[in-house]
Amino acid sequence: MRTLSTILLVLVAWGCGGDEAPRAEPGALAFCETAQANVAAFIGEALSRHPTPADERFGGTAVVGNIAELISGMNAAITSDYLSLQYQQFVNLMTLVRYDADLTPLPYLARSWDIDQDTTRLTFHLRDDVYWHDGERTDAHDVAFTYALVTDPDTNFPNPSFFDFYGRGENGMRVVDDFTVSVDLRPHAELLDPWRALPILPEHLLGDVPPEDIAAHPYGSRCPVGNGPFVFVEHRAQDRWVFEANPAFPQELGGRPFLDRLVHRVIPEQATLLAELLTGGLDVYIDVPTDQADQLVDGGARLDRFTSRQLEYVAWNGRRPLFSDPRVRRALTLATNRQELVESTLGGYGRIAQSTIPPFHWAYSQGRAGEDLFDPELAGRLLDESGWSDRDGDGVRENAEGEPLSFTLTYNTGNQRRQDIAEIMQAQLGRVGIEIRTESVEPASLAARLFDPDARDYDAVIFGWITEFRMDDRDLLHSERGTGPFALSGTANPELDRLLDTLPLVVDRAEARPLWNEYQRVQGEEHPYTFLFFPERLTGISPRMMGVETDVRGEWINVRGWWVDPRRR
Amino acid sequence: MIRYAARRLIGAVPLILGIATLIFLILNIAPGDPASYLISPGMSQEVVERIRVDFGLDQPLHVRYLQWMAAVLTGDLGHSFSHGMPVAGVLLAALPPTLALSGIALALAFAAGVFLGVTQAVRQHSALDSTLTVLALFFYSMPSFWLALMLMLVFSYMAASVWQLPFWLPASGMVGPSHDSLSMMGRLGDRVAHLVLPVTTLTLVLTAGIARFVRGSMLEVIRQDFVRTARAKGLPEGSVIWRHALRNGLVPVVTLVGLYLPILFSGTVFIEEVFAWPGMGRAIVGAIQARDYPLVMGGALMFSALVVVGNLLADLLYAAVDPRVRRHE
Repeated sequence: MRTLSTILLVLVAWGCGGDEAPRAEPGALAFCETAQANVAAFIGEALSRHPTPADERFGGTAVVGNIAELISGMNAAITSDYLSLQYQQFVNLMTLVRYDADLTPLPYLARSWDIDQDTTRLTFHLRDDVYWHDGERTDAHDVAFTYALVTDPDTNFPNPSFFDFYGRGENGMRVVDDFTVSVDLRPHAELLDPWRALPILPEHLLGDVPPEDIAAHPYGSRCPVGNGPFVFVEHRAQDRWVFEANPAFPQELGGRPFLDRLVHRVIPEQATLLAELLTGGLDVYIDVPTDQADQLVDGGARLDRFTSRQLEYVAWNGRRPLFSDPRVRRALTLATNRQELVESTLGGYGRIAQSTIPPFHWAYSQGRAGEDLFDPELAGRLLDESGWSDRDGDGVRENAEGEPLSFTLTYNTGNQRRQDIAEIMQAQLGRVGIEIRTESVEPASLAARLFDPDARDYDAVIFGWITEFRMDDRDLLHSERGTGPFALSGTANPELDRLLDTLPLVVDRAEARPLWNEYQRVQGEEHPYTFLFFPERLTGISPRMMGVETDVRGEWINVRGWWVDPRRR
Repeated sequence: MIRYAARRLIGAVPLILGIATLIFLILNIAPGDPASYLISPGMSQEVVERIRVDFGLDQPLHVRYLQWMAAVLTGDLGHSFSHGMPVAGVLLAALPPTLALSGIALALAFAAGVFLGVTQAVRQHSALDSTLTVLALFFYSMPSFWLALMLMLVFSYMAASVWQLPFWLPASGMVGPSHDSLSMMGRLGDRVAHLVLPVTTLTLVLTAGIARFVRGSMLEVIRQDFVRTARAKGLPEGSVIWRHALRNGLVPVVTLVGLYLPILFSGTVFIEEVFAWPGMGRAIVGAIQARDYPLVMGGALMFSALVVVGNLLADLLYAAVDPRVRRHE
């Protein structure tokens, strides 16, 4: 009885008390207290200035769920994970430009921009009606500060190559007037791309933080102050992020979002995510595994899908004699039934990859001649031509010296999809006389074997990477980067090198397109990798959620226009 | 007793230091270093080097070890970059949810386990005893994450979507999305509703083990002479069992408390994962996923220290309830 009453007491105390803020350093606490008080004051005042319009779409809370925490929070200077960047770009912060569905840059925080005649200076004209959520106006100083921060090596910005072509120091970003900045550059392809992926940070809050301390600053995960359509309310680590509508979001950009609140929940177990979506605890389930797709639809939820930027491939270690002949590499692709791989490992939710260029990209050549689809007979002929045939009738091909066509296909332990790919390829390639041994290696050890230029200890490895919208494959394919960590294939092809050197410098898309076609053709001939597929990314949406649109730009692109069916709030 | 306690306490210090050393070695000798997870295509060699310097990976192993130990001894567990705050702060923030979940489950499990165990012992070989034995074995051998998923399937998913009941239990989290806008009683109800499934899962698994243990211990005790004496004195049966026999039967159960105590702090990783309960287990698993090495090391160290302390407490408790332990010292 005493136990029970104690439990009850504890419960009551716990139910009434708010959650104590985690014990923290006094400086951080003071920063957050001031910041949050200012935000509360400004938003409260903005609410009275901008009454919510009479439209049934306004109001309600949407709960988004995913297995991952926003590990970088809203700290754009250190963000390397997809989810954090999505929330920064579309929810809490703003970028200078954003992409439309064809990846054409549109104005956002920048009202417009000019590029001078010889493409050596870029000038942004900023909006003057965007306010940080604590009431300060967003201006040119914020943009210049953010640029200086991420180009300072002490910050450890994870994507320094964004600004490889942009000036530093005196040639870096200059404040022309309060709403104009300009920056010097060398002419290059897709020069606006970095600006749609770099959320602008508040100078008035972070300006005096030394760059080396920015990663640990409480701004990121404890009290971010943004300027985007949603205001940060609360973050409980490994549990949830809560945002509320920003009533002061510029009318020209659509004004305040329909939702009152947006909650991001971290739910590490996918079965739980599904149960929550189907019981109404969740409205949007980000990154649904393909094996849950049917259950989700049967349970009454909607399924949205788009081809992701994540490329899955097999890298052939061209440094080893077995893979030095492009005909052999091409035969390996031809003998691989990639449609079957898509069906059996992705449940059909994926697109076959023919090169590093994803099918949604403007540079992708449609119906390129010589696309290699499943053709085991042609594979056999190519292998015969290059001297590999089954000389002793044991079912495995040999070369003239009697060495068997046999190698190890490696993948990282714990990745079920890659294990399945390895086993299916083992069977498929076995049918044309290629013997594969599969090998699973613990990820950290595998990284050491792959990326260390002195090791490169593998025959073939199943791996993946995320392609950027501004494509630059030099790290992967250029001979001069052969000692870099990502030169898995050890490719050295002068024609590829020439294209890889040229493509990043072509400013105009129309001019670049024939070069990209050429590039894809040469990739097909050289065949450094067998590109398997781009998986589709699935989103589960509860029937009460309206206006959710997703595509390769992300799941939150239209978050301002999400609304909850008023009858089901 | 005080001398005994002091000796055990001093003995725990080198043990914890040894564990700290082991944790450091395991994480630092394992192939691949933290920096290798953070590099991606497009990063210059300079940046990669800088990340390594930031992690202190340019220093030899023994220097890093001494630096870490010195920091740990002054209570500084380092800075968790995935949370943007000191490791100690992260762990302290994750502790209350874990304490609430496992504290309630442990209390319920001990109450139920002792009651069921005694009942079974008193009615040994009865139909009730056999039924409870089968049930106990069923839950004892069930993986906790599977039980968690099954309970969720029935009381959350089926209740809401299949049977369309007016009320179902929330599948995850500690509070609902509209928690802050509820009345005080509403908040309490919200919290309790979120507690039911994880607490039930944990309680079922723990109760089964405790009941088995108490049953065995009681069976030995009720055959002893002092119990017969108590009955011969004319004491009512309830008093004989619950007052006299149980006191002696519970002595070995104290050991069990020691074994279960670390659960209070470490949480139960699987249950926290399935129910998205933001406690210690989640914090550590999240840290591993985010490659947040300072938090992983700090968390592992704290768990180990708590296990040592838990065992120490059990030993002391044991000495307190059983005079023989002290006398043999």
